[in-house]
This record gives sequence, C-alpha cells and structure tokens, in this order.
Amino acid sequence: MTYVLEMKEMTKKYGEFLANDRISIHLKKGEVLAIVGENGAGKTTLMRMLYGLEQPTSGEIILGGKNVKFSGPLDAIENGIGMVHQHFMLFSDFSVTENIVIGHEPKRNGFFNRKAAAEKVKELSEQYKINVNPLKKAGDCSIGEQQRIEILKVLYQGADIIILDEPTAVLTPIEVEELLKTIQFLADQGKSIILITHKLPEVMKVADQITVLRNGKVTGNVLKQNTDVEQLATMMVGRELQKLTDRIQVNGEPLLMVDNLSIGGKDEKPILDQLSLTVHRGEIVGIAGVSGNGQSELIQAISGLRKIDRGSVRLGETTLTGKSVATRRNAGLAHIPEDRYLWGAAKEATVEETGLMGYYRKKMFNQSSFILLSPFRKLVRGWIERFEIKTPSLDGKSGNLSGGNLQKLIVARELGFETDFLIAAEPTRGVDIGAMEYIHEAIIEKRNNGDGILLVSSELSEILALSDRIAVMYEGKIVDILDRKEATEERLSVLMAGGNENESSKKTTTTA
Amino acid sequence: MNLQRKLQQLLSSLVQPLTAVLIGLLTGAVAISLVGASVLETYKVMWDGAFGNFYFVTATLARATPIIFIGLGLAIAFRAGVFNMGAEGQMVLGAVSAALAALYVPGPGIIKILSALAAGFLAGGLWSLLAGWMETRFKVQLLISTLLLNYVAVLFAGYLVSEPFQDKSGSAALAQTPMIDQMAWLPKLFQGMSVHMGFVIAIVLAIILFIILRFTSLGYEVRMLGYNPFFAEYGGINKIKVLLFSMFFSGGIAGLAGTVEVLGSQYRYVEGSLTVPGYAWTGLMAALLANSNPIGTAVAAILLAALQTGAMGMERNTEVPLEIASVIQGVLILFVTAKITINWWKVKKKAGDIHGAA
Repeated sequence: MTYVLEMKEMTKKYGEFLANDRISIHLKKGEVLAIVGENGAGKTTLMRMLYGLEQPTSGEIILGGKNVKFSGPLDAIENGIGMVHQHFMLFSDFSVTENIVIGHEPKRNGFFNRKAAAEKVKELSEQYKINVNPLKKAGDCSIGEQQRIEILKVLYQGADIIILDEPTAVLTPIEVEELLKTIQFLADQGKSIILITHKLPEVMKVADQITVLRNGKVTGNVLKQNTDVEQLATMMVGRELQKLTDRIQVNGEPLLMVDNLSIGGKDEKPILDQLSLTVHRGEIVGIAGVSGNGQSELIQAISGLRKIDRGSVRLGETTLTGKSVATRRNAGLAHIPEDRYLWGAAKEATVEETGLMGYYRKKMFNQSSFILLSPFRKLVRGWIERFEIKTPSLDGKSGNLSGGNLQKLIVARELGFETDFLIAAEPTRGVDIGAMEYIHEAIIEKRNNGDGILLVSSELSEILALSDRIAVMYEGKIVDILDRKEATEERLSVLMAGGNENESSKKTTTTA
Repeated sequence: MNLQRKLQQLLSSLVQPLTAVLIGLLTGAVAISLVGASVLETYKVMWDGAFGNFYFVTATLARATPIIFIGLGLAIAFRAGVFNMGAEGQMVLGAVSAALAALYVPGPGIIKILSALAAGFLAGGLWSLLAGWMETRFKVQLLISTLLLNYVAVLFAGYLVSEPFQDKSGSAALAQTPMIDQMAWLPKLFQGMSVHMGFVIAIVLAIILFIILRFTSLGYEVRMLGYNPFFAEYGGINKIKVLLFSMFFSGGIAGLAGTVEVLGSQYRYVEGSLTVPGYAWTGLMAALLANSNPIGTAVAAILLAALQTGAMGMERNTEVPLEIASVIQGVLILFVTAKITINWWKVKKKAGDIHGAA
C-alpha cells in the first residue's frame, strides 16, 4: 500500500510544553483525512509543520515515498502541498483572477498576461466545478466565494495535497453543503485532502479516514464506516458527553419586549427593520441567522450600546429605550458579549479587574467609593472553582488567559449578577467541548430558574440544543419564529438564506 | 509567595524605563567621548551638579516641582486613554490666572494663596475641558486640538502681561505681571534654598492620585476606559463623563504646575519663564517613562530634572556642552515614544476592526 503522505512520530516541543507528542498520520491518493480535536489539541501545530511554518523537534515527513524537510511554505507548495487558511489572505482590491495567479503569473514578453490568466482560471474553475467570477474584485466577494478563490489558488499552484484549516467556521449552512461537495469532487479527481475541524457531523459526511487528537496525542484513528459522532466526541474529550439538564416547563410572563425596533433606513437599507420580539420568563429565545443580518446591532440596541431610530425596548415594567448601559444593567440585564476581546474584557487588565466590571458599583464591594477587594476576591475564587477557570493568579493579565478560560470568566461574571434577563451572544465561540458543556448547563439552569435568555449564535447546533423558540433573522427582520419542536436544521437553513419555506421544495437554493 | 510575585511585577515594570535610561546614558557617553572628554569624569561632574551637595539637591527638587505636576496631570489623561498634548498651554494659563488671583483677590495671605491655587487649577482644567468637549461633541481629535490650543493659550497669556496687566513699575518694560505680595508666597522649605512648599504638594498629590487610581471606583473607571473603551462602555461606564473628568483634572493639575512656580519661585508671571525651560515636554516624558504610574512619574520627573541641573553643572565645570543632556533626553524620547506609538496603533487597529465588522 502506498501513501502519498506519511507523517511519522511527529513531535514538537515549545520549551517544556509538548504540543505534538509522536503523532503519525497517513494519507492515500484521493482520500479525505479529517483531523479532529479540541482547541489546543495540536491540530494546527501538526499542519504548520507539514506546511513548513514550524520545524519539528523530531519525526519525519515522507512525501511520495521520499523523506522531505520543508524550510518554509514555498518549499511545501513546490512539493505539491497547499493550504487554505482559516483567515483568508486575499488582496481585496485585486480581481479574483489576479488573486489566484499571484506569484505565478503567466507572462508574455515579460509582462503579465491577463488574458491567459483569466483563461487558466476559467479552465480550473470548470475542471473542478468551483464557481467564481474571474473579473470580480476579491473584496466584493462573499465569504464563501473568497474561500473558493483560496481553493482555486491552491489548485493553480499545483497542489495534490490540500489542507483545509477549519474551513466551515465562517460559512453559512448552505455554503457548507457546497464546500463539502467540492471536497468530495476534488477527492474523486485524485486530490488528497486534509480537513482540520472540530465539527463532527461534517466529518461524518465527507471524510474517509479520521484521526482524533487530544492534548497533543493521537487518541484514535478510524475509518468513517466504523465510527459515529458519539464515539468521535468521546475520543476528542476523553470522556462521554453529559446530557443537558432537563428543561422544566415554565409558563412565564413576558420579560423582554422589543417593539418595532428600527435602525437606519431613511435613504439606505435599514439595519434593523421594525423588529418585534418577546422573551418570556423561563424561556430561551434563540436568534438564528447568517452573521451580518442585524444580530449584532439588535444586541447592542437592547443593551444600550447603540442608538436606535424608532421603536422601544422594555424589560418587565421598566422602559429601557434611550437609557444608559448602566441603567439597563441595574434594571436587570446581563450580557455575554459576542466578542470577548472587544467588549468582554481588557487584555491589559488583570483577571480580577476584568471580573470586577459592574460589581465595583455594588454596595457589597464599594465603601464610600473605595473598592473592597477582599469580598470580591472571594466571589471570583468561587467562579474559578465552579467553572474550572485555569489562571495562574487573579493578578495575571486577562489577555494571558486562553480564549476558553477568558470566556468562562466572562460567563461567570455575567451569570453572577443574577439578573432576570441575560443576553448570551456566541456564548461558546472558540471554547472547547468541556467548557461548552459548562456554559450550556449554566444557561439551562438559569432558564429553569425562571429567568429569560436571548441567545444569539452562529452555531445552529447550539441554537437547536438550547432554545425554546427560535427566531430567524434575515436583513434586519425576523422572518419567522419556530417552536423548539418544529425546528430542524434544514428548515432553519432555508429561512436563514432568506428563502420562503414553501418555496424551498421547488427551487434549489444558490448562494450569493 | 504573593509578596514575591508583586515584587517581580514591580521589577518587570521597571525593566523598560531603566533600559531606556541606560541606553540614553550610553549614547550620551558616545557623544561625550566624541567631543574628546572623559566619560566617567563628565558623568561624575553631572552627578555632582544634580546631587553633589545639599544646595544642588534642593535646586534639582525645585526644578522637578513643575515637572512632577505636569507629569501627574498627563498620567491621568494617559490612564484614561486620551492624549493630552496641551500641558504647556494649561500650565501657562494656570500660572497667569494664579498670578492675577494672588494680585487682586483681597484678604490675608492664606486666602490669596488658596484662591490662586483654585484659579490656577480651574484655568488649566477648563482649558483642557474645552478640548475634551470638542472631542466628545464634534469628534475633534484631542491630540490635535490640545496641541493647537497651546499656541492660543501661550499667546493670550503673553498679551495679558504685555498689555492690560503689565508691570509698569520697573524701568524696563518687560512682559510680566507686577510682583505678588510677599504674604501670598509659598514658603521655602529651607532657608536660602530654592525648593519650596510646591514640592511637598506635588509629592502628596502623587500619593493621592496613586491611591485614587488604584483603589477607588473612579480610578477603576479611568483605567478601564484607557485599557479598552469598548469594554468600559459595555460594562456601563459613562465614557463621556469619565473622559471629560479626566481631561479636567489633567489640565487642572497642569495649571497647578504654573501656579506653584508663580507662588513659590518667581512671584509673578513672566512671559516665557515656563515655556523656555520646556517643563511641559519634560513632564510628558516623565509620565511616559513611568507608564503613567503617579509615583513612578514623580520619581522620573526628579531624575529628568537631575539630568538637566546636572548638565548645567557639567557645562560650568567642563568643556562638554549642555546639549549632551538633550542628546540623552532625545534617546529617551525615542524609546518611550516607540512603545507608545505601537500601543496607540494597536488600539486604533482594534477600533477599526469593530467598525469593519459591524
């Protein structure tokens, strides 16, 4: 049996830290290998070594039967390895064609031959059934299109082994479907694919072979037909996943009432368009939608971070419209922000200071404007214990916490206010499965307590797992609200793309 | 254990400014040897000029006094994340207002002193608040507005003392106010030495500011605003209020720098007496060197004042020119601003990202 690529006993040490511990993988021609694992499991390090961005401490890379050593990405590319990064590296002012051929432009008499380039791109695009408009500016392309440009660039450079690093993280459900089809097609054409991801359902759809990593070690290597999502998850986390606490049926009264909320829209397209929404006590309302359809603005409008043009927001008996952030928080609003580094913390501040936000005003921790640190420290230690937040000390900088631990700190802080209402925006973005379980558990518990929660997430699975009702946002409006029982991923996907449910059976949806 | 970590933190925060000072001194050494003098001897003379005997020590502290005030004022603004570049104008307006208050407010000395201090603080504070208000109301960049308002303030003060309030008593028509009454003078700390009560006020103020920034909710709000304005806003801190407050106090304390110079050493406002020695820019450097820690700023201000008085001693006693001190300061500025620019750029980039994403 011949492999196009083998990595044997790859080890990478950063000081004392063992990022990769004797990891071996192998890949056949035309095969899709999925490498799955939580954040920090070592997936990225392994791929960086393959792509020449890192030098292994020990181990060997065998490419087409030959031992190779790459000193940099250019070396890897020359040897037929291409990588599509999670964050695209495109020149937004250049055309699609220019972005694809960059660095290897076809020339005529020493000058860039645009015509030949456009033709080549068209050829490739047809050969691999990857749809792009060669003349469009890259900056005007949707995220899905930009990803296709990246894939074509790699193909243009002659890659036979294509690494895709978390390719579906930024895509809409429909774009994900298309990407998976493309991956399948590329494999059928004889390309070998390495797919880095932590989304197991996708893996089960497209991979032939799956390697699971945990803490820098291989914990499993299986063929797709011999495994399922549960087994993969167990290998990834190292234990069986807990089931979510049962939800207690609560028939609460209305708590958050958003009425006819609008932002913008006199001369241009409105960002929020006469949006109305109610969250009851004891209810989680999930907002599903492709990002950029007004979800961020809705959260900011409710929490007081953004001015609105028309409409009103009420929380129980209190009118929040036009009130300051502090007033809203005092009225019983807590808020897990969608971007923890932008809104949720100050990287330069200590862990204690990041936790203190909001609490320093409370009587318990404030005596004639002097902050009482010792009772507060006790509170934070409680959070650290309950959420298993890993931090060397309370005096360490917040920015030095890992993303997941900082997120847990922010979640603990906002839950700690014990408010009636909570906005949870992307509460588990970029955190590992263990932390995700904790956070989901805490949110359900809060709901069962009779509090109202507005959940905004780009992960449909999260929305489906937690929400009692699901509102779908499209172009600043809520296009439909589905009950927990009637919501499925398929129905939501159609609504999220702006399609009417009834039409969905007739037309095949295409993405912009 | 905890103490050890705190100590480590303190030391690590000192590494950067100390490296900057060391490299400054090394560059100075190169310059000194270029003019053909002995490095060690020259630095020894410089040290003597700053700290050689009690008289020189007090002279250094007297020079440090306005620099400490300026540095403290700027430290507040920097902590809140705003660039107040208007310390010079705020100081000059504070000085001229203090001089006028001491001259024209009736009553005993203590009343004159207190009203001069209040007038100096208010004048500097309101001048600075104007820039802050323009930023919050019309989005006029503080960095630019404060810098430009310096010219307005300095020229206006110059007009006041060359026209309506000029001292007509002397034979030479200098641009200065009449001398204030001796009972409104800040007392000297030691007989015959130039250091005065203003130095004590400066040190006490440094300690108070340190406590406010470190232990009170107001200080917390100022610091969080400076670290990440989005985080501050999200947490319910009134951004505009805290920004205006910081600008007011920042300018007010710069105004006090001028005030104590008038009340403690010159006893009148003399045009150019505060701008020519470059107190404002030295104070800026002190705040930047100390990373806006109030106590660190006071220490840095004394060091920079020592560098200047030491250089004067050096010029008196050696062939090496005064400008060596400027060389050393220049290198310090280079190092400190490189760091500041990088931080500022990072914050701007972050702000750009959110608007791009929205």
